Amino acid sequence: MTGKRRVTFPHMGEYWIAFETLAEMLGAEAVIAPRMTRHTLEAGAHVSPEFVCVPFKYNMGNFLETLEGGGADVIVQAGGGCRFGYYGEVQEAILKDMGYEFELVNLIKAESAAQLVREVRRMQPSVSYVRAARAVAVAYRQAQAIEAAEAYVRLNIGFEVERGATDRALNSFLRDLRTTRTLRAVREVRERGLADLAAVPIDKPADPLRVGVVGELYVLMEPFANCGVERKLAAAGVEVHRFINGTSLIAQGVGGRKHVRHALDAAGPWVEYHLGADATESVAKTWELMNAGFDGMVHLKPFGCMPEVSAMSALQRISREHTFPILFLSYDAQTAEAGVQTRVEAFCDMLAMRRRRDASA
Amino acid sequence: MTEARTVGLPRALLYHKYHTLWTTFFEELGWRTVISGPTTRGTLERGVGLAVDESCLPMKVFLGHVDSLRDHCDVVFIPRLESLTPDEHLCVKFMGVYDIVRNTMPDLAVIGYDVDAANAVHERSSMIALARQLGAGRLASRRAYDRALTAQRAHERELARLQESLLETGGPHPDRIRILVVGHTYNLADELIGKPIITYLESLGVEVITSDAIDKPLARKLSARLSPGIRWTYNKELLGAVELYRDVVDGIVFIVTFPCGPDSLMGELCQRKLHGVPVATIVLDELQAEAGLRTRLESFVDIIAAKRHARQRCEVGS
Repeated sequence: MTGKRRVTFPHMGEYWIAFETLAEMLGAEAVIAPRMTRHTLEAGAHVSPEFVCVPFKYNMGNFLETLEGGGADVIVQAGGGCRFGYYGEVQEAILKDMGYEFELVNLIKAESAAQLVREVRRMQPSVSYVRAARAVAVAYRQAQAIEAAEAYVRLNIGFEVERGATDRALNSFLRDLRTTRTLRAVREVRERGLADLAAVPIDKPADPLRVGVVGELYVLMEPFANCGVERKLAAAGVEVHRFINGTSLIAQGVGGRKHVRHALDAAGPWVEYHLGADATESVAKTWELMNAGFDGMVHLKPFGCMPEVSAMSALQRISREHTFPILFLSYDAQTAEAGVQTRVEAFCDMLAMRRRRDASA
Repeated sequence: MTEARTVGLPRALLYHKYHTLWTTFFEELGWRTVISGPTTRGTLERGVGLAVDESCLPMKVFLGHVDSLRDHCDVVFIPRLESLTPDEHLCVKFMGVYDIVRNTMPDLAVIGYDVDAANAVHERSSMIALARQLGAGRLASRRAYDRALTAQRAHERELARLQESLLETGGPHPDRIRILVVGHTYNLADELIGKPIITYLESLGVEVITSDAIDKPLARKLSARLSPGIRWTYNKELLGAVELYRDVVDGIVFIVTFPCGPDSLMGELCQRKLHGVPVATIVLDELQAEAGLRTRLESFVDIIAAKRHARQRCEVGS
């Protein structure tokens, strides 16, 4: 098939911008799933196995909303580790039984940069290797630019002087980034965007409350699925630190076991053997940040996510033995935003109280 | 000579697959083995109290068993398994279980060994290293492992042969309803989880075939017919059993424990690919009530019996 193929992919944060660029630079048409709503989850949950984890249901919701509204020829599935790796096959079987026709490209198979380019080419097989490699490179840099901007936002949005100013700068940066198609353009937009963000006036104390966010990758990176937990923390006057993002996971995927060895070293006495997926990392970061004087941690996972449940036994012990505050949040199809809001607020109040107590002691 | 030391083996999770390997190994090394008793409500309640809420039912049962060995042995044995072949892996709970126990019961002495074939950590070298760590000499360590492996292989052959002979002869009662019960060995063999279901089906006059007594390498190969992409070793074995027996049974019962991710995905795929075989999925959690379960099994068997009856009448009438 030589025609322009219509390619779609599940949503995760703002990465759709990089996916759109990737598809278009391959010569395909990018079909962006509608913005996530409650309906996305309900539609997805309706056709999913009952107690599969919630990222599966969100993905299905994205696919259904796309396939119902105009359709696509190719569905791209990514993600690694644990059950994520098996998502594609089951999702394909469900959607095809429903009568939809499409080809599934599963990027999970990529274990090296060359393999990634090969898999990516399946979205539009008529494209040359050189062009595919260039598309991957530009999309990757875009993803990194998004990550750099969002990292800055997490640290500072809680302290902006004029409410909404940070988001204005961020949105204008994302708009500009979406149009870039060369490495140089990405670099220029990134520098300008970061400068604009840095120019937003903030009023931040010298020693703000600092909280790290760790856990399972999807709920960590998809604000709709985690009920905007990072923004809620920031709104309570907290500097929010997160370490896992899309490109770090790809780099780990093609980098073999190195990151596992590093995580095991960093996890200290709490973890002797790798716990799977990002769970060792969750413990390692918690241990590191506690020792670096952070005020607390937030641990996110889909309900029943086994690697992160394993991590919790270590995290609960660290929390208990070192009286270190950790907020555990678990997401399923029924999780309500109001519940998350209440728990985050109570957590942040407690952190602030601990600070005042320590200051007066 | 000092008195023999005692190692405790929790009767849960992989014990049900590897008890021959493990007990032979320790006995060869001159250790005494203590095995926790069959699972009871009390075992589960202990486990529920210790486990992270969202742990799966078999993990809660396991922690209950570990805790029950406290004070009955010098050290508790908890191996850690990640992958048995280079391109497959096991459920992540087998990767985490050693550290879960260490963090849940920090005062407990534990030993184990690691298997991760995908990263060149093999059972043989790991178990021999464990024997050395326990004070055995080089030769004695190797001999203990080799004898244990021989015993384990014989045990597995026996399991597979039993079932094969059953299939060849068509079973002792060719006119009885035959049901394949599919579930992880640690669930089927558990006194509280799977055994009551199998016993109850048998009390209804059903001939039960289980998924765990099967030639494992064959099962893993057959699984590709139902799912080419599945990579969990034990789920492959279950799928292989389904593929092997689907045409010679009247129905299939899936036993799934809450909230098992691999099983929920596998079950979904199976139900889409199995046409013409009645399937019932029983999901068990810690609040399981036996009465509801029996009603479901009974009606499932009734439906199969009615179907058989109708078919026989058709055949007679035609």
